[in-house]
Amino acid sequence: MIVCVAVVGHQNNPLYLQSFTGSDDALKLHHIVHCSLDVIDERVNNPKRSASTLNETFLGLLYPTENYKVYGYLTNTKVKLIMVTTDLDVKDADVRSFFRKFHAAYVDAVCNPFHVPGKKITSNSFSERVGTIVRSFGPSMTL
Amino acid sequence: MEDYPEELRTPPVALVSLAGCPELHHPISAFLHSEQPPINTLALPDFSKASVLARKKNRDPLSQPTPAPPSGILKRDWLLRHRTRVPAVVAALFRADQISGDPAQWLQACTDLENLKSLIHGRSTRLVVVLVQTQAAEELSEDVMTALRKRAEIDPKHLVEFVQNDASDLRQSLNKLASLFAELCLTYYKEEGRRMRSIIEKKSSPFPELNIRYCFKIAIYAEFRRDWSEALKFYEEAYRVLREMANTSTRLPPIQRLVEIKTIAEQLHFKISTLLLHGGKIMEAVARFLKHIKTYRRLVGLPEVDFLHWEWFSRQFLVFAELLETTAASAPTSQSPRFGTAESPFSEWEFQPAYYYQLAANYLREKRCCLEQSSVSKTDLPSKITEAPDSVMPSIHIGQSARLVEEGDIVTVLPLSDAEYVAYALAEAERFQDCYEIIALYKRAQESFSSHGSQRMACLCTLGMAREYYASDDFTNSKQLFDTVAAMYRREGWAPLLWEVLGYLRDCAKRLGLTKEYTAYSLEMAALPVFSISFEKTIDFGPAGPATLSRREEIQREALNFAVETDGDPEPVGLDIDPVSPLRSVLLVAVAFHEQSVKPNSAASLTVSFLSHLPLLFKVDSLEVEFNQPACNFSMSIPLEVSPNKWLRLTHEVKSGQSGKLECLTVKAKINNNLIICCRAESPALMEDLTMWKYENQRETYPTLDPALSLSGQKSIQVDEPNPLVDLTLNSIGPALVGEVFQIPVLVVSTGHVIRGGELKINLVDARGGGMLMSPRETDESDAHHVELLSISGLPEEKEDDPNTDLSEETKSDNIRKIQYSFGVVSVPVLKEGESWCCNLEIRWHRPKSVMVYVSLGYNPGDVDQRVNVHRSLQIEGKVPFFINHRFMMPFRREPLLISNIRSLISPLEEKKVSLALKENNIVIVSAKNCTDVPLNLVSMKIVPEGGTDSNEKLFLVQEISGISNKCIRFVPGEEFRGVFSITPLVAKTSLSLGVVCVEWMRESKKQDQPETVTTKHSLPQVCVEEPPLVAAIKCPPFSIVGDPFSLYIKVKNNTNLLQEIKYSLGDSQNFVFCGAHVHTASVLPGNEHVLSYKFVPFSAGVQQLPRITITSVRYSAQLIPSIAAGTIFVYPAEPKFSLEKNGSELVV
Repeated sequence: MIVCVAVVGHQNNPLYLQSFTGSDDALKLHHIVHCSLDVIDERVNNPKRSASTLNETFLGLLYPTENYKVYGYLTNTKVKLIMVTTDLDVKDADVRSFFRKFHAAYVDAVCNPFHVPGKKITSNSFSERVGTIVRSFGPSMTL
Repeated sequence: MEDYPEELRTPPVALVSLAGCPELHHPISAFLHSEQPPINTLALPDFSKASVLARKKNRDPLSQPTPAPPSGILKRDWLLRHRTRVPAVVAALFRADQISGDPAQWLQACTDLENLKSLIHGRSTRLVVVLVQTQAAEELSEDVMTALRKRAEIDPKHLVEFVQNDASDLRQSLNKLASLFAELCLTYYKEEGRRMRSIIEKKSSPFPELNIRYCFKIAIYAEFRRDWSEALKFYEEAYRVLREMANTSTRLPPIQRLVEIKTIAEQLHFKISTLLLHGGKIMEAVARFLKHIKTYRRLVGLPEVDFLHWEWFSRQFLVFAELLETTAASAPTSQSPRFGTAESPFSEWEFQPAYYYQLAANYLREKRCCLEQSSVSKTDLPSKITEAPDSVMPSIHIGQSARLVEEGDIVTVLPLSDAEYVAYALAEAERFQDCYEIIALYKRAQESFSSHGSQRMACLCTLGMAREYYASDDFTNSKQLFDTVAAMYRREGWAPLLWEVLGYLRDCAKRLGLTKEYTAYSLEMAALPVFSISFEKTIDFGPAGPATLSRREEIQREALNFAVETDGDPEPVGLDIDPVSPLRSVLLVAVAFHEQSVKPNSAASLTVSFLSHLPLLFKVDSLEVEFNQPACNFSMSIPLEVSPNKWLRLTHEVKSGQSGKLECLTVKAKINNNLIICCRAESPALMEDLTMWKYENQRETYPTLDPALSLSGQKSIQVDEPNPLVDLTLNSIGPALVGEVFQIPVLVVSTGHVIRGGELKINLVDARGGGMLMSPRETDESDAHHVELLSISGLPEEKEDDPNTDLSEETKSDNIRKIQYSFGVVSVPVLKEGESWCCNLEIRWHRPKSVMVYVSLGYNPGDVDQRVNVHRSLQIEGKVPFFINHRFMMPFRREPLLISNIRSLISPLEEKKVSLALKENNIVIVSAKNCTDVPLNLVSMKIVPEGGTDSNEKLFLVQEISGISNKCIRFVPGEEFRGVFSITPLVAKTSLSLGVVCVEWMRESKKQDQPETVTTKHSLPQVCVEEPPLVAAIKCPPFSIVGDPFSLYIKVKNNTNLLQEIKYSLGDSQNFVFCGAHVHTASVLPGNEHVLSYKFVPFSAGVQQLPRITITSVRYSAQLIPSIAAGTIFVYPAEPKFSLEKNGSELVV
């Protein structure tokens, strides 16, 4: 189950952060998302990466905490998409497809003429759409 | 890791025991220890000490007919014993003389051997006999050797001779001994391992404990042999059996059983990890560790002792982190293409010790949490739990505890019940202060993370530390750490995280009694962009409380009323907000002047705007606005209401009488009479966004009513200088001439201001740019300045009879006069309105150059205390007054033969130098042309020898033939004057300096006083003076009359001591008839003059050309053809009559 998704801007500032857990560890999820930015920084700035991975938007597993796995995705405008899941055994392909949908939703949200680039995303329809994508992630795992 | 016993932490080393010959023990031990692999030695100085090798009397439990269940898994001292007490080889050392000599000694040796044999009986420990020979000569007989071998019951190769008579022998013997020991050790440990393995394989034991024990032993024996793969295999096996046993064993009470299993699992896992890491298999080690964690994670045990589980769990992370840190194996960064993908399931951090340190700290916190709960429940129900027994000690099995009971002299070891154990564990755990250990772990993690550049992770660790300090009431340290964390979250705009940290900080400040900090943190919290939209109120934000709007409002009220509530302290809290302060969102002040510059004493409008993100409206009681010119400060005491998220704009006018920059510095707002917020004023044009609010989706508003001013408005304005009421005039009389002292009058007239402290600055600058008034090559010479400011004349102190005595005193006192080559400063006396002052700048040009003269007058106008400056400039050309030229000539119809002239014709490449004839009158014509635009008066023209006239020896004589007759001659522009001089060299010299032509002139002046004369110099070239060998002169009357005969003489003088032959010829002319030879030769005697005489009769009148005369010197191959001018004569038709006087008197020539 996905417990948290986040969109992080250029200055590593949160643009959108939604947790889907009923329990009170939302703050912990904030910390997890914030710390995973370190790994993104390291992966993006690491010059040793081979050429084939340079254009890859999916950053893979950022780091495992005891109960969660954190995955990252970097858009071409250097906006970071982060997902935290409690499923400890996730297929890469599923995560990739999730991020593709999430990215599409983000692109649609910032295409809104009333959205100011660089500001937090407060659109309700974006939240709903993300909610749908997140809910559809769980069942696809069990199939 | 340090808590583990030494024998567990280091790889086992084979053990060999030495007995007898104690003097050899040290060299042998040292040698064996330095071998690869090393061998440890157990040295027994004499055979009586051999009893330490005696084995204990416990039997293998399986060898008994009815096997009893083992009381533990691993014995505590087994490993240590095998590393230090149970040797693989026992070596008995005997001296050769002991064996071969005295029979009593032989008997003693036999007894010792027997003793040793009995001690190692039943073991596979090998016996080696070493015969020590001090000299090679002490060869023992074969019989003795055999007898000894038989006594010892050993193979022949186990009887070694040890020769030590010299170094090479000793080394050889040591090598032999070492290789024998190594071989025997290998065999011993192999056999021991095989024995254990056969036990496992033969009888499948009903007790998994024994299986684990045997697997452990096999692995240890394998480690003794450095067979790492086998060791790893059996450790893994032991680990597997142990995990299976965890669910089935019933041997001990459940709590202690679990403790034992976890302790053994920890040891086994430690061994496995060590082996993997030392083998460089870091990926496998990490995978193994994760599996270990996963396996034991849920094995918490009973809730009253769950703290034991978490302590153990935390220790797993700590030990693994320390192992990772000390291991040589590096994380596979370069090999693995990418972390976190299918091909590499690990992420970067799983190879970093810091990650494990951080988790160890987290679990230690968990342990403390559980411990606190357990302690609480214990105090709640004291009757249920037994008191902790006094003397609990570790039992002989690893992971077990036992109780010592003393009854009189008898000490018995009794097992503990679970209740007793729990009480004991609780009591033990409470003795330790976990928070320091947690902080230390977080610190290690934080340092490691920040060294890897993972700032955010390091920040999280710092947060962990800070929370621990907070929990242990160390608010000073806690506040310091929270501050660093808050800085990070502020920078990246993580409002909810910052909210939590600020909550802690606020509480720390409150507890430390820091009113100012408390207010600052509270206000910052209240102004944070957190809303209750996405956060449930159930989230624990620590002391901050829920991140909601209502909580923010509450905090704002608390902060603004805080000082009032505390006491009637008259000292209000002062907060400074600068452009980098996080409190900018509390109160942001933008100040914008409407104009960019303003005239002095006229009003400039400015807008002061306030923006606050505090959730509630607040009142500002009074306002003080401060400028860099304190006279402009103003204050307002009208109450202002600052609404949330909305600019409050005030427009005000200020007047400044002082020119320069007027800048708004600070705005002080007083709130509730207990809080003064001092904001640094910011220009709207340069204002940065608020860190925490710039990402919020809210309406853009402008600090000023005019949006354009919001983009360009500045907090400073330029106040202009007052207009100068003074006339400064610079005059010049046309171009300056090189050499003269050129005067530029400067006139200062006050037209409204009283000039006080006036200062006139003069600056000469090259008009073509560059500013250099001297040539760069000549800078070191003091007089190399092309244009020089000489002095300033007409200054008041020079006028002794200054009528204004009251002013002259002042001017004398603060007189400034400083003149350099291109710069000068003079003071200007006090001038009242309408008065004037004048001076002349005296400038001399050394080279023709165009110069800009800048003159600026700075003064204090009487009324205002500031300076006013007036600037004027004038470009002046510097020109050369005269263009001077010269020409050398010979006297008319006189031609000396100059050899150098002939030579220069032959080789024209040589430098041509003018040649003059010695002791002949050489003519120099000097022409001077006025090339200025003004008429000039020429005073004199002279040729002055170089270096003055004081030279002792006269090298040449100068005679002025025609020059300036009367006082001076006026020359209009373009007019040329010629002076004729005759130079008679007295000495023959190849290089003679003729000196300088000095032209003395002056400007034409209308004034009475004569201006100074100026001398312009022109140097004459170096000439060559030589003695002419022949001088030819033609003597002829100036005119003749038709039909009237006249004589023409050609005189050739020979100046040499040689006979000179000359040829001469005369051409025909139709205008003349003459008598004399047409072509002839003549010889001129030395020192003599030869005269050729002709008589001519002209036929026709007018200017007539005489027949062509040619004189050739045979010796010098030089031909003289007189010039056309020299061969021309005027012929009158009849005798002329010149009327010279008006009265008609006639002069007959």
